[in-house]
Amino acid sequence: MILRPFTAIVKREFFAYFYSPLAYVILTAFLLFNGLTFGGILQFLNQPDQPRTNLMAVFFGTGFFWFFMFIVPSVIAMRLIAEERKAGSIEALLTAPVDESVVVAGKFAGAWLFFVFLWLPTLLYPALLARHGSVDPGPIAASYVGVFLIGALFLALGTFASALAKNQIVAAILGFLFIITAFFIGVFNSLITDPKLRDAFAYLNLMEHMDDFSRGIVDTRRIVYVVTAVVFFLFLSSKALEANKGK
Amino acid sequence: MLDVEGLRKSYYGAMAVSDVSFRVESGEILGFLGPNGAGKTTTMRMITGFLPLTAGKVTLDGLDITERPIEAKRHLGYLPETLSLYPEMRVIEYVRFRAELCGVARRDLKSRVDEAVQKCFVDDVAMKPIANLSKGYKQRVGLAGALVHRPKVLVLDEPTVGLDPRQIVKIRDLIRELKKDHTILLSTHILPEVELVCDRVVIIDKGKIVATGTPDTLRTQMSQTPGLLVAVKGEISEADSVLRKLPGVTHAARIGAGGETRVVLEAERGVDLREAIFREVLTRGWTLLELTPRQASLEDVFVRLLSHEPDPVTDALPAAVEAEQEVSS
Repeated sequence: MILRPFTAIVKREFFAYFYSPLAYVILTAFLLFNGLTFGGILQFLNQPDQPRTNLMAVFFGTGFFWFFMFIVPSVIAMRLIAEERKAGSIEALLTAPVDESVVVAGKFAGAWLFFVFLWLPTLLYPALLARHGSVDPGPIAASYVGVFLIGALFLALGTFASALAKNQIVAAILGFLFIITAFFIGVFNSLITDPKLRDAFAYLNLMEHMDDFSRGIVDTRRIVYVVTAVVFFLFLSSKALEANKGK
Repeated sequence: MLDVEGLRKSYYGAMAVSDVSFRVESGEILGFLGPNGAGKTTTMRMITGFLPLTAGKVTLDGLDITERPIEAKRHLGYLPETLSLYPEMRVIEYVRFRAELCGVARRDLKSRVDEAVQKCFVDDVAMKPIANLSKGYKQRVGLAGALVHRPKVLVLDEPTVGLDPRQIVKIRDLIRELKKDHTILLSTHILPEVELVCDRVVIIDKGKIVATGTPDTLRTQMSQTPGLLVAVKGEISEADSVLRKLPGVTHAARIGAGGETRVVLEAERGVDLREAIFREVLTRGWTLLELTPRQASLEDVFVRLLSHEPDPVTDALPAAVEAEQEVSS
């Protein structure tokens, strides 16, 4: 009985993106910059004095990549709950026989599917490379697993921000803050002097996660970390939604 | 079918709704009447589980809305006051979305959606995006979405607000039609609506119930003291005192001015004053402009129950105010 409302919400959220100009702005900017990055890396690595490296591993580690990973999920997720609360449609939604957690999970899943959809055209890059040389599909598949997992984590943070704010812009900024906090908590682990604590924070280092994935290493600990964090923040979102009902 | 017991809502210590209790019987349309800000929407939001209750109990078909919200809401269709649909969706998509959301089985999906769309007369716009519809259509699409899962109880918060007269008539006809399959709680601040549509009325003011009854009982209780309005030409200051002396008159009050004098008269039951007034006016040499029996309407009941400022007409009818107190007790 939970599945039908859940899929209904997922469908509605996913398709709603295609009716807003924002989706096309994101899609265009995303493909344009990713294309430029890809072209740039390709040109750079083609210079004779460059060592042989895995192009896609470089692609998933650039500043542009991370910049998009911060911006895109916060913008995709900002509308999820804030928009409905502002428009008032939340009232009809929450008086339907569905639990808040199903609403939140459905909305998150719809946004995540859209995020996955954004990445689909980039599959063209390894396909292009494969035409002109040999490509190892393993690390590339693992890279996408990494992108979709980290994307899920960031989207869960964005969903939580959207459940807290009534204004979409506020939700986007808040989501962005959550995301960079989650990112830098791990990245700056080397600044911590206590070795045990440093190890704990190193475990949260998303850059390292992504680095592993792009080299083809799919570590279950990384998956567990992301999935737990996603569930935790969706739980918080559902509690925030419940607490903010009627406000 | 729908039981509301001792419902209370306070915001930061201020009481928005206090001790509201009523019952909507199966197959009945109950009108929930009150001025803006009386607590209608707050009450309805508590009934539909959108707002937590400060105190009290709401049961839908025996299911407590706070203890078993999901099961209770399965029997509930709700049309919120500030109706907001998803503008990008087509009508049929929205109704199907609501059906899926409310757990309609896949095999029944198409037939239920068609049924709801036809019932609410939106089949002619079924393929249009909601954003392109007029307010009247949107309201009916919202209604179709609210009843697609065949709920036993429909809660409609100001369903006719913001519609043009033709759309209002259509919605009212529709609501009367829906009575066959649903128990309906309808809020409004428009009086004729209650008289036209509802079987019973609950009047609420400042978060409290001030009267309950059928439109007829409320009106009858008011018209226990038939009144007459007399208007004569010119400003005649002694008009009220002269008319008060007529046999059978219990009360007379002069109101208004401006070229004519108007007197509101109250008489004992069964006394017809009209002839006596005519003769009196004639002997005094006044010019009679108007002689109107004052049939108490539900509007009078409403206005008297709710107005707390001194009102000349109300103040002139102490007997009526007594009757009103009977109503509210």
